[in-house]
Amino acid sequence: MADTKIHTKLRSDELSCPSCVPKIEKALLALPGVTKAEVKFATGRIEVEHDPAQSDVAALINSIAKTGYTAKASAF
Amino acid sequence: MFSGLMDIYRHPADRRKWLTIASGVFITAALTAWYGFGIAAPWAPLMTIAAVLAGYDIALRAWASLKLRHLSIELLVIVAATGALFINNHWESAAVTFLFMLGAWLETRTMSRTRGALKALIDAAPATATVLRNGETVQVPAHEVQLGETVLVRAGERLPVDGEVVEGTAAVNEASITGEPIPAEKSPGSKVFAGTLAENGLLHLRATGVGADTTLARIITRVEEAQEAKAPAQRMIESFGRWYTPGVFVMAVVSYIVTRNVELALTLLVVSCPGALVISTPVSVVAGIGRAARAGILIKGGEHLENAGRITALALDKTGTLTEGQPRLAEVIALAGQNKADVLLWAGIAETGSNHPLGRPIIEAARKQGPLPTAASLEEIAGMGLIARHDGHDIAVGSHRLFDHLKIAFNAEAKDGIARLHGLGHTVVIVARNGEVVGLLGLADMARASAKPMIDRLHALGVHRVVMLTGDQRPAAEAIAAAVGVDEVHAGMMPDDKLERIQAMRAEGLHVAMVGDGINDAPALAAADISIAMGASGSDIAIETADIALMTDDLGKIAEAMEIARATLANMRQNLVIAVLTVVGLLFGVYTGSIHMAGGMLVHQLSVLIVILNAMRLLRVPAATKAHRAEAKAKTAVA
Repeated sequence: MADTKIHTKLRSDELSCPSCVPKIEKALLALPGVTKAEVKFATGRIEVEHDPAQSDVAALINSIAKTGYTAKASAF
Repeated sequence: MFSGLMDIYRHPADRRKWLTIASGVFITAALTAWYGFGIAAPWAPLMTIAAVLAGYDIALRAWASLKLRHLSIELLVIVAATGALFINNHWESAAVTFLFMLGAWLETRTMSRTRGALKALIDAAPATATVLRNGETVQVPAHEVQLGETVLVRAGERLPVDGEVVEGTAAVNEASITGEPIPAEKSPGSKVFAGTLAENGLLHLRATGVGADTTLARIITRVEEAQEAKAPAQRMIESFGRWYTPGVFVMAVVSYIVTRNVELALTLLVVSCPGALVISTPVSVVAGIGRAARAGILIKGGEHLENAGRITALALDKTGTLTEGQPRLAEVIALAGQNKADVLLWAGIAETGSNHPLGRPIIEAARKQGPLPTAASLEEIAGMGLIARHDGHDIAVGSHRLFDHLKIAFNAEAKDGIARLHGLGHTVVIVARNGEVVGLLGLADMARASAKPMIDRLHALGVHRVVMLTGDQRPAAEAIAAAVGVDEVHAGMMPDDKLERIQAMRAEGLHVAMVGDGINDAPALAAADISIAMGASGSDIAIETADIALMTDDLGKIAEAMEIARATLANMRQNLVIAVLTVVGLLFGVYTGSIHMAGGMLVHQLSVLIVILNAMRLLRVPAATKAHRAEAKAKTAVA
């Protein structure tokens, strides 16, 4: 079961105030299967550990969009 | 049409942009009606529509956060704006929501510019690669290329993987990795990097690194970590920022209870975001480190930025960083009764039989004075030199060992010459004809043309002591040091000696930067205030361990790194001053009644923009010095 977790790296170019950091992190962690969410304000990097069967990458992007930000998956 | 609108609606940034524009239009209409035509009737409804348009998106986001039990800035702003509508302050409500949206839009755009250097790195890697599978070319996603596969790169394309050239030649622009604008010639056997640009030719590469396992990806990761690393001051500000918003919220409630002044309470809510303060240092760091990365300088975080700005001494671990790394013919000595041209001609004739690195500069110099005849016979004596027969003469060219072997004795004049050349740090090649020494050649790894101006520039920047700590022999080290203006030479040093020297310099109160290769000199590098690796693009260890990694071995980058570091530190301080003044000024203004809601939002948004724009100046720290440009030009001329 533990092996189902994957690590996804997203990037957003729209973070303009660090107040969005806890907002996005909380939104991601509220999704089922998300065990870790970390938003780096300085670079706009969003690191998520999640179970793709419960919440896939599209679901992550969608939940970030609901908080008002566009994010994209990134290979590195 | 409808689906187009839906697309805009679904894309948060687009939705915000159009809501902001629409809100602005209604505000303008209300202002025009009132001040232009003196019509008062539409004022309240138009302003209310403007407030609702701009406030709609703010309310959506406030609600999303509230569901997650997060007290967001948006919630406070929307409460303030709604409150203003209820006390019939339509203008304040519209202005606050509109300015909040407009400010956020401008801030997003400017912030993404400060992050631009990193984005350029990320965008440098193409998404797809052309690989050769079973004799056919196939397009695949770049990260799905298999190690060892052959990747094709055409003129004008960026390389999708790290690799080694197996076929073809091309001029490859490696600026994305090294910051070096002059393209490098690549041919079979050359190492190439993902993200670099093939300007011409057609290359077949064998993939050696793919996706996250490329030099480019490692650089991106390092740059990001550096930008995200928090300086102590920043941590303090952030914890202050976390308390500031709830703190101001409590102040608003308490103020209302005490003064019964609704407007004062609502204005406090408007200025509750410590925006300028919390971004003041990170934007400077992001811009400064990003600017450095674009020039092929990897500074590993705010702390190192601070140390780099304070350096007063620089230790170089080897002569190689100051020299061309290739021997050149420095001096020709003709013994009594001989002439230099003949000595060089004899040496050249014999050296054509060798491809020893010391032979090349001799042949080159000899060819400059005329064509080189071919010897009748040639023999190379490994590790000693060459024997040739030409025009009825026996020629011997090589080190003293060749002459011991041939039992040719040196007269006093030859011995003096050899000693003098050794004293200059030269490698000596002896030339004999028919069993008699006729001349001597001195070869040396000469100082780079750029080394002296670079050291002058370091001196001018306040690096008073440039010290050479080298394992090389003293004469060679001193000759180079004198040519380039190094202040102190310590030759014949073992790694432990270097460590002691660094410790001694620090004990004197100097802030020491050490340039080294990261392996032999690990103890000395660790002891220095800042460790710098040069020519790091090929070495992962250097990228990982050095505090500052320079992707090329261009000395000028050290000075450039220091200039960027200093500019960034100054920028951070300016931003902090702006931010603190704004926070204090706003609170003071609100309590003295000189700042109302719209004004509070305007000042707040302006302060955030000023802080970001100030940081953006760092992206324009002057790059190349005259000397650097001259060197780049010289390289183009050679190419």
